[in-house]
Amino acid sequence: MAQKWGQRFRRLLVKTMDLPQDVMMDLPRITMIGQLHIYIENHRGLLNFTDTEVRLLLKNGQLLVKGRSFVIKTILPEEIMLEGKIDQVSYINE
Amino acid sequence: MKNQWTNLYTGFVEVKASGKGTERLINELIRQGVSVWDIRRTAPGILIFCMDVKEISNLRKAVRKNECKVTFIKGSGGPFFLKRLIKNSGFVIGFLAFLITIFVLSNMVWGIEVHEASPDTEHAIRKELDKMGIKKGKLQFLLLDVDEIQRRLGDKIDVLTWVGVDLKGTTYHFRVVEKETPEEVKTYSPQHLVAKKKAVIKKMLVEKGKPIVSINDYVTKGQLLVSGLIGKEDQPQLVPAIGEVFGETWYKATVEVPLKTNFSVFNGDESTKHYISIGDLSIPIWGFKNPDYPAYETETTSRPFLFLQWKLPISYKTETLRSKEDLIREYTKSEAMKEAKKMAKVSLEKELPEDGEIIGEKVLHLGIDNGKVKLSIHYQVIENIAIGKPIIQGD
Repeated sequence: MAQKWGQRFRRLLVKTMDLPQDVMMDLPRITMIGQLHIYIENHRGLLNFTDTEVRLLLKNGQLLVKGRSFVIKTILPEEIMLEGKIDQVSYINE
Repeated sequence: MKNQWTNLYTGFVEVKASGKGTERLINELIRQGVSVWDIRRTAPGILIFCMDVKEISNLRKAVRKNECKVTFIKGSGGPFFLKRLIKNSGFVIGFLAFLITIFVLSNMVWGIEVHEASPDTEHAIRKELDKMGIKKGKLQFLLLDVDEIQRRLGDKIDVLTWVGVDLKGTTYHFRVVEKETPEEVKTYSPQHLVAKKKAVIKKMLVEKGKPIVSINDYVTKGQLLVSGLIGKEDQPQLVPAIGEVFGETWYKATVEVPLKTNFSVFNGDESTKHYISIGDLSIPIWGFKNPDYPAYETETTSRPFLFLQWKLPISYKTETLRSKEDLIREYTKSEAMKEAKKMAKVSLEKELPEDGEIIGEKVLHLGIDNGKVKLSIHYQVIENIAIGKPIIQGD
């Protein structure tokens, strides 16, 4: 109940004060440069990494990136920069 | 994101992790604030990544918690590069030795060339240079500088009118102009001799031509002395009039001599300091003591080091401190007068041609003004007043 109240309050703040949603609500911010790079902020950890598939943990659910010849250029606690040929990005919600 | 170029200096390692929990290992590392980059999967269960050398202890901790094995593939960057350099130190030593050899050789004298000199003069110059220590294989910056060499050669070797010294790279070039010994025989065209200034004729030595004036005549400037027209009046013949006509001429000189003069003289005490200077910074290498001269003058010479044909910003600097003393010279009135007369005579003699002779002097005026003795002197001088004036035909 308390968490829900918090969520509601934040959503209200975002609406009324015009704040960026990713900051207020811990959503991932994804930047892609063509198919070459993908830059994801606000992730919660690496779940699976192969050269064709990367699975990242988010606050709610997971993010799946598929493609070819993946290399993680940089990884920080909340940011990741992936290089390769990206074919698809999808969310997985349980 | 973190800038990663600093890793090149601090050094980084490429790590191969194998096992099941490789993703968890990465998560663990980044949670501890270890920067990890270039992560790639080469085969299922094998992960290769790069990380800072300094964070290896953190890696060990993380590995213990997870079920995977870690091996290091290679190290790159600063410390590893140094290690490899030390291992292959032969190359480094060789390269340094090469640089030092080139540097030393660029600063040596490799040739002394004397141009346009007769063999005798060339021999004399080479002997003099040997005495000054300028030989093949000497270091340039320890030798005298070019102007000094030029001055000394000019002083020591009489037959030289002028010697040009030029240091091009590692070779000294000497360009010589010798005094011309045989005098040219002058050929004259028909001419008169005329007076160069007003004078009273005292002596005439006429080789050719017809004298017009006689002894004790007063002549003015430009007056005809010896005519170049000889022979019968109706059939004159043109000859170059040659001869010397000595006349008494007059000069007036004014000199001022201060009664009291301050002088600075060097008393011969000197000390030299040697520096290596890099830009504005001078590092003393010899002569650290500061001599306790009450007054001195500093003379600095700076010789840049060379590398091949380039001048390096490093130079060899010597500083010579010469002790100086102040002297006060005081004249009494009569001494000052004597001094003034001497000075006037010397400066007049410089002005006169070689055959001029002072035969008399007379003080016209003597005054003391503002601590200075002012003297006007009148001189009587015997000198050759004849100069040639060509006869222009067809007039």
